Amino acid sequence: MPQNSIRLSFAVVALLALAACKVLPTGTTPGGDKPAAFDPDAAVAEMWDGKVLPYLEAKAGPFAEVEKVARADPAAAGAKYGNVNKQANSPWTYAATIEGKIVAANTQSRAATIDVDVDGDDKADARVQIGPAIRGTALRDVLDFVDFNSFTNQIDYAQFGKAFNMHVNKTVLGTLPRDALEGRTAKVLGAFAASGGTDLPLATPAEIEIGPKP
Amino acid sequence: MKFTRRMTLAAFAGMLAIGTAVPAYAADLVAIITPSHDNPFFKAEAEGADAKAKALGYDTLVLVHDDDASKQSELIDTAIGRGAKAIILDNAGADATVAAVQKAKDAGIPSFLIDREINASGVAMAQIVSNNYQGAQLGAQEFVKLMGEKGAYVELVGKESDTNAGIRSKGYHDVIDDYPDLKMVAQQSANWSQTEAYSKMESILQANPDIKGVISGNDTMAMGAIAALQAAGKKDVIVVGFDGSNDVRDSIKAGGIKATVLQPAYAQAQMAVEQADAFIKNGTKPKEEKQLMDCVLITPDNASKLETFALTD
Repeated sequence: MPQNSIRLSFAVVALLALAACKVLPTGTTPGGDKPAAFDPDAAVAEMWDGKVLPYLEAKAGPFAEVEKVARADPAAAGAKYGNVNKQANSPWTYAATIEGKIVAANTQSRAATIDVDVDGDDKADARVQIGPAIRGTALRDVLDFVDFNSFTNQIDYAQFGKAFNMHVNKTVLGTLPRDALEGRTAKVLGAFAASGGTDLPLATPAEIEIGPKP
Repeated sequence: MKFTRRMTLAAFAGMLAIGTAVPAYAADLVAIITPSHDNPFFKAEAEGADAKAKALGYDTLVLVHDDDASKQSELIDTAIGRGAKAIILDNAGADATVAAVQKAKDAGIPSFLIDREINASGVAMAQIVSNNYQGAQLGAQEFVKLMGEKGAYVELVGKESDTNAGIRSKGYHDVIDDYPDLKMVAQQSANWSQTEAYSKMESILQANPDIKGVISGNDTMAMGAIAALQAAGKKDVIVVGFDGSNDVRDSIKAGGIKATVLQPAYAQAQMAVEQADAFIKNGTKPKEEKQLMDCVLITPDNASKLETFALTD
């Protein structure tokens, strides 16, 4: 009798396994339970003027001040200048205004940057990305109204992060001067992630003005 | 062959089902289900979860689904049948897994997912995954730098049913495609497999003997690629992986593979068990279902600090 029931469950499970095998398509979603395709570019464009810029303007502190608070107490700085709802394991990202003189520029790389001295000692304090290749997702990560849990998966969340960089490229960075940047002034509203390394803090601008040649 | 294996599995599942008639044990049971331990990443995960669960006083049931969704479904049945209090799961497919996790939930058993997401919220108790996009960007930035922002390259992609394959590829391209002088001459899936990556790389090389770089969706495929490249005498091709395995660490130290991205697999699995423990003992749910853990770039500078998917200080 136990022998029989083993055989039976055997057959049933085997049948189920084989049946399941047939009906499982890979890479397709059966049914229509997915929301309409997510358009990250449109989502960013829509929130940019009404939500993103006002948020950054309200949150940002002068770079030197943000750096000072962040060095003393990263979490306090995060609460004041950043996104308190960030993922526990991610670094803090802070909103800041960076105003000063461009002391170095790297426009050889497509991930072009300018190094800005904010305190007048002729030494670079922050590195600002001027594209067209932009690293990271600082502009997304600094926003306290963007929650990873509201996205279907990491891919949508990632595309949303990239869309901020694309938006800045299209609306702000594309028209920036690329030559003879050293010595000019820069005025930036943007965000940067805390980094433990020795590299300069890497900021992504949401708005940027570069002054005329001195 | 395939059929025979299924029959054996079914028999195994049947035996376990009958095993439920046996009276309960003293300690609560935690089921730990991952892909095959052939990949050291999954082995580290399973060991991390197993060690933490035992340290917290649980019995464990460690199982592998071999990336087979129907096998995974049987294993979930086994866990339910054995009266597991929680399931720690690295799943076998973002869509295919939803029903299996729902089945466990309906049976009153919470699932704590690690490494891979599923395409549904509110079914699993937690989804703790590496920030694959952030990690892929780190890997791609290093790749771009090593390539000098130009040259022909190949991308090896992971298994399509795994969200991580897509997200890493997306992370790579979001960085690399900003450099028009970097030209992708081949993009193929090697399904996370070392042997498959070796043979794919061999045939790619025949058609494209002049490639300068290979960016791979994981470390096992990177190991397959570098072996094929070295066998073909292509010692200068830049290979970058993803995971942070000891094999790739050793290759980096020996000047083979140039970089990889560490996923904190061991810590991640332990965190999942801690959250399961808090729920079993106190009914405390994780604050958020979806939780991201950041990845770390591994280069010759820090490779020696890497051991079993964790960085020592």
